[in-house]
Amino acid sequence: MFSADAAMASTGIAAVAVLVMVLIAMSAWVLRSQRIAVEVARQQETDAIGSLLSESAGRMLAAGELSPLRSAISTAARNWDLSVCRIVVGKQQVIADADPHQISMQTLPDQWSQLAQNDSSTAGEAQFFPIEVPGRGIAQLQIVPAAAKVDYWQTQAGMGVGAVIVLTALLLLYRFTAGKLRPMWLVRDALGAVAAGDRSADRLSISPTFGEEAVAWNALVGEACRGAQPNLQRTSDQRAAREQASDLDAACDVMTSGLLLVDARMRAKFANGATAVYLRTRREKLVGQDISALLGDDRVLNAVRSIATGSAQGSVTIEVERKDENGSGVLRFTVRPVRKSDAGAAMIVIDDITQQRVADAARNSFVAQVAHELRTPLTNIRLYVETAIEDDTGDVAQLRNALNIVNSESRRLERTVSEMLSVSEIEAGSIRLRSDDVRLDEMLNEVKGDFAQQAKDKNITFEVSLPPKTPTLQGDRDKIILTVHNLIGNAFKYTPRGGRIAVTLDVQTGKALLDVADSGIGIAPDEAELVFDRFYRSKDERVSKITGTGLGLTLAREIARLHGGDVTLQSEINKGSTFTLSLPLTEARAA
Amino acid sequence: MKINEKRQGAVTIIQPAAALVSADAEQFGEAATRAMNASLGRIVVDLSAVAFVDSRGLEVLLDLAEEVERGGRTLKLCMTNPTVRQVLELTGLVPHFEYFDDTHSAVRSFL
Repeated sequence: MFSADAAMASTGIAAVAVLVMVLIAMSAWVLRSQRIAVEVARQQETDAIGSLLSESAGRMLAAGELSPLRSAISTAARNWDLSVCRIVVGKQQVIADADPHQISMQTLPDQWSQLAQNDSSTAGEAQFFPIEVPGRGIAQLQIVPAAAKVDYWQTQAGMGVGAVIVLTALLLLYRFTAGKLRPMWLVRDALGAVAAGDRSADRLSISPTFGEEAVAWNALVGEACRGAQPNLQRTSDQRAAREQASDLDAACDVMTSGLLLVDARMRAKFANGATAVYLRTRREKLVGQDISALLGDDRVLNAVRSIATGSAQGSVTIEVERKDENGSGVLRFTVRPVRKSDAGAAMIVIDDITQQRVADAARNSFVAQVAHELRTPLTNIRLYVETAIEDDTGDVAQLRNALNIVNSESRRLERTVSEMLSVSEIEAGSIRLRSDDVRLDEMLNEVKGDFAQQAKDKNITFEVSLPPKTPTLQGDRDKIILTVHNLIGNAFKYTPRGGRIAVTLDVQTGKALLDVADSGIGIAPDEAELVFDRFYRSKDERVSKITGTGLGLTLAREIARLHGGDVTLQSEINKGSTFTLSLPLTEARAA
Repeated sequence: MKINEKRQGAVTIIQPAAALVSADAEQFGEAATRAMNASLGRIVVDLSAVAFVDSRGLEVLLDLAEEVERGGRTLKLCMTNPTVRQVLELTGLVPHFEYFDDTHSAVRSFL
């Protein structure tokens, strides 16, 4: 930037110097011309005076009038501003002079000798005019005009002022153009730097305060420099490509299915996070490695090998059950060929279907159980109805017995259906309670009758104790009956022959408590809470021999809790269990 | 601290019996990691008995969540009480977990 300034400065100074010199030369020339003109004028004036004066002096000399001549000379000198004005005769004898002291000859001679010079001439500033005086000789008039007291100061002042004005104008012009030209000089500097190899946008830019040109230049420089940095561009392209790749990676990593891409030599080309989890390894150890050992099942291995090498077409699905010291589970391997030439040879999708299997097994066992539960009463009903139809004897007592059994079995069917519906309602979260008047005493008596036969068959002492006043509570009648039946039914199931079951109803303020106590196999403490879980069957081997859906207690508790009550357990293994159903009494109404 | 583990279907439900703080949290972390490895990530953390979680407890839960995320899943918590829930909200950790009101719905979500 300094060079620009220096260039500007030197050019400016040179221009100004030249102009100043021109001005001086002009003024000197003008002055000279003026002076010459004045001198010429003066010369002409002197000539005119000289000739006039010499003529009149000649006449006066001829007439011998010396005094008038002398006064004429003085007057002329005074009027015409002559420093010297004299008449000279003979040998430099001054007979008349403006300055009286110069007069050397007092009287006019009659004759004189010739002068040395006879012609009009000039010697220095003096001008000589010959005067022919007939009869006497030739005299000489000498005139020296006074120095031109011409004052040039006006001219000089005028020139000075002109010079000042011009210089000021020049200065203003200089400042104006300098300001305008400066960005151009800076651009020139920047271009010089570019020629030297500089590509930095910072260094090549100029201050935008210089105006539009500077801003435009900076924009150009910016664009050019950006384009001139291919390395940076490549890096950012690479980064973008990496980000894109990692987007796909990230997307694959949030899948719960494992994705495994395998080449023809059984090496993993790509594996997502879930694959690493299912194959019990780390992803770093997976990529690029032979995965044969990790698959854990020969069927899968063979399928992958045959599809990867192209010897088999179509996709294969294999479910593998794995049980090892780390746990158990079921994995589903779906192996498909990948037809694109360079994307690997086989794609394996791994799904963890353990929970699905469990749910399926539970559902299947439940359905089987329900079917069994339905079949038994249906069989009984059919049996007794057929007997009644075929009976010819008309035995009313037998008929009534048959009808009673049909009735109770129908109710049993009803309960089973109700249980199934409740289970599905609980699963769906849509269980609803009706609000009936439930007369506990009636209900319990009915229940007693339902189980009478079972008690007899298994030789179990079955007692139902009611307080003198049994209340009526508000609740869903069907579901409460179901609950009570479940509890008592369990008691019968898990009490061996010759045992005892006691059902006791206790009415307290605000709630009714129904105890179902048996002398059965009991429940171990660690299972005490578990028995209430859905589909849970006790690990006790005695239980596994007995059929059950695993839902009875779950339902019982769910229904009790929906009413605002609960089912609790007290048990001792091999001694027996007491299940307590508590239900709130909204109105303490005695029967 | 006692840590209850029970199997429901294919899922292991792990239930710490006290607040997840300092050394107890570490113990829980180890047990949960073992359970996770055994069941291929099919675990549910039952927080019904956890009254409070401190910073160590949060770290342990986050570590577990990260492990589970490697397999594309999210760590499932059930029955978090309001205090624990508030702690998770204040620390901005809510999005790292899935929440369930009971163990059954948590287990069902594995289907």
